[in-house]
Amino acid sequence: MAKGRRGTIWFSALLQVWLLAACGGSSASPAQSITLYTCVNDTTIQPVVTQYQATHPGAKVALFRAPTGQLNARVASDIRTGGLKADVIWGCDPLTVQDYVAQGLVGGWTPETEIPATVRTPDYVGIAMLYIVAITRKGVKAPASWPDLASAGKVAVPDPNLAASALGALGFFGTKFYANLKEHGAVQVGTPDDVTTGVAQGTYDAGMTIANSAYAAQQKGSPITVSWPKPGAVAIYGPVAISKTTKNAEAAKDFISYVTSREGQTVIGRAGSYPTLPDVAGPEKPNGAPIVYPDWNALTSQKAALLEDYAKIFGS
Amino acid sequence: MPSSRAWLGAALSLALGSAAVLVVIPLAVLIKTSWVEGHDRLADVVSNPGFGSAVVHSFELSAAATLLAVPVGVAIALALRDRQLPGRAFWRAAVLLPLLVPDFVLGYSWLRAYARAGLTSELFGLAWMQIQGPVGVWVIVAVNAVPLVYLIIAVGLATRAEPTTERAARASGAGPATVLRTITLPLLAPAIATAAVVVFVLSMGAFAVPQLVGAPAGFGTITTRIYADLALGSDPQGFVEAITLALLLVVVTLIIVTPAETLLGGRLQLGRMAARDTDWPSSSPTTRVIVTIAMALYLMITSGLPLLALLSASVTRAIGVPSTPDNWTLDNFLAVLTPRTGEALSRSVLLALAAASILLVLGTIAAALGRTRGGRSVSILITLTLVLPGSTLAIGLLIGYGRWLADTVVIILLAYLAKLWALAHRPISAAVDRLPSAGLHAARVSGAGLPTALVTVVVPLLRPALLAAWGVCFLTALHEVTMSSLLYGPGSETLAVVVLNSADLGGVGVTAALSVLITAVVVLPAAALWALGRTGVRRPSAFSPGAWSA
Repeated sequence: MAKGRRGTIWFSALLQVWLLAACGGSSASPAQSITLYTCVNDTTIQPVVTQYQATHPGAKVALFRAPTGQLNARVASDIRTGGLKADVIWGCDPLTVQDYVAQGLVGGWTPETEIPATVRTPDYVGIAMLYIVAITRKGVKAPASWPDLASAGKVAVPDPNLAASALGALGFFGTKFYANLKEHGAVQVGTPDDVTTGVAQGTYDAGMTIANSAYAAQQKGSPITVSWPKPGAVAIYGPVAISKTTKNAEAAKDFISYVTSREGQTVIGRAGSYPTLPDVAGPEKPNGAPIVYPDWNALTSQKAALLEDYAKIFGS
Repeated sequence: MPSSRAWLGAALSLALGSAAVLVVIPLAVLIKTSWVEGHDRLADVVSNPGFGSAVVHSFELSAAATLLAVPVGVAIALALRDRQLPGRAFWRAAVLLPLLVPDFVLGYSWLRAYARAGLTSELFGLAWMQIQGPVGVWVIVAVNAVPLVYLIIAVGLATRAEPTTERAARASGAGPATVLRTITLPLLAPAIATAAVVVFVLSMGAFAVPQLVGAPAGFGTITTRIYADLALGSDPQGFVEAITLALLLVVVTLIIVTPAETLLGGRLQLGRMAARDTDWPSSSPTTRVIVTIAMALYLMITSGLPLLALLSASVTRAIGVPSTPDNWTLDNFLAVLTPRTGEALSRSVLLALAAASILLVLGTIAAALGRTRGGRSVSILITLTLVLPGSTLAIGLLIGYGRWLADTVVIILLAYLAKLWALAHRPISAAVDRLPSAGLHAARVSGAGLPTALVTVVVPLLRPALLAAWGVCFLTALHEVTMSSLLYGPGSETLAVVVLNSADLGGVGVTAALSVLITAVVVLPAAALWALGRTGVRRPSAFSPGAWSA
């Protein structure tokens, strides 16, 4: 595949750079090294990987991190070119990982852990939690219960087609709740982060977003209030699962055991995500804050119908 | 000495070979996936209630953006021809500003500038409430396309062969409007048509702006549907639907571009040597004042305020607090400038340099093949990867070459080449279309080999076009994120991937800091080179304003 002399020179120069980089990086023994696919953001995943490698001499984690859409595309491409390249997948919501289980890609093993059964199945274990909370711009009355959100001014909701956390909320609330919001003038934006940005900036008065994103903005000084309206913030757990075709099963199990252990959960909590082990400290959460859980099993089968009904409300 | 025919044959096989690797194989992979796994579901995809409106919205967006961007770009290119225009060098550089801002922050910068509680609302109590909706999407996508139109028209003008025709008309008593209507615009027709095709295709594939600005008004396009399908694409259906929709974009592009290419067919063949456009008659002082004010206003609205909004976000500690000195911070920049990003930055610069340089060769070859049948096929083919959303193009490359190239910088480079080839090709072809053949012919008759003839006769005339093509590709590759974030592996992270992975597109301050940093990476060396050029060291630089349309 020649591309002219100049092109060839560039091409071979790049190839050399890449080969050098590749050789330099492969000092660890291959048996101890795993590939991890995740959509958890760098703030959380980097400290977890660093701590794991530091406390497990010889272990090496090759990381691919991307937003859910790209992660799905990567997995789908892997399947079509000889199989999943990851040994472990750490997803951001149960639906995505359940889909992988249904395709026979991951699952079949979970470690011994104290993590509650509510965020576990025989195929995966929830290791980090997202909470859908309400945020209001300063000066706007915070909703005491979710239905109050409709009267909080101009409201923004995240798109359940883009963010599984938003889909979890849709699963919990049902379409009537959104129809009422829409009647009161609510709009749908992209991701929960878009909601946080929009409310902080004043484009909207209130919205639904994830707690990490809201508290992070608040701590920096954005003029917003975070509330956990009744009956509760909607909890979405991010599960970890082992590949069914991994060639490094021992190393993969070792990593999963670590992130589900008290030690691993503590690192996750310090890194800014909510651990699923109940008594491990995580980011800010009011004492006794009410929490509700969507019925993920029901959601798996109702997803398509639910999104179709939802599209009639905020449809494009 | 090989004959012209042999050279042409070699160029054609190189172009077709590259098109096979960069376009045909990835597309074939996508078609196969879509057909094998989804042909029985095609009816479902098409009959889905949101599908019709997405198609209509995509068409509306492309049509509106083309109708807005092309006249504005042409007008700016013509206005900036006047060498007496005050601050001409500055205007010519400033017009290109939108190219520096990645798509994914463009929409944000406009919202921050003009939406409710935005900059204009803080300063003057004025907000543009319709910005979040179809009109806002049209305007922002169009404004972002204006620099490309400007470049294509400006290089068309720079390679001009007939300024004398216009002067003759003026001398014979024709008014400026008559000259414009009867001489300038008709002679520019190929460049204008080229620009229109580029804008139409680019807008059809635009994703980030419709997603951020259009979504709140329920303005979904084919590209936003593709993204939603991928986000829910952990089940095979969503994945296959995304690919099928992307292929639909390709079909639509084929339907639009093929006739356009055929209509563009009759290239202007001029017998005379090109003359330098130095003696273009200046306009009247009044016109100059009006043009200056219009340029200043346009740039203030389309680049000045949005960029100011971005800059203020990058130095402000939190979103929603006033950007006053006691709220200023360098934290966002510190988050961007870590050892990891340093390594990624050098990799990104190297990748962008490699991509732009290879694309210069590929773009020139495609343009040189011109309107031969082979050339026309290549130019249509490479337009198809321009319209493919980055995510689906990356999937095609990953399925096509992932077995051998996954996780390497080579596959990222292939993605840049595939995506940007058309952007390199179009400005060069707009210039080539206006290139007189007499000089080349004379050189060949006098015994010069084709390469010598090209280097001594054609390249100097094409220099503005080559610099424009190189610059556009370099800038776009430097801040590319969609494809890189799907294709990277350990050790091949690009700058945008590292920065956005930590911010997940939500950390607006960090993202804004990234844009400012990228701008600095580009502007500082360019300014230095320009200063060097000004102090007498004659060195052409892609970014010295004079070089864009020498």
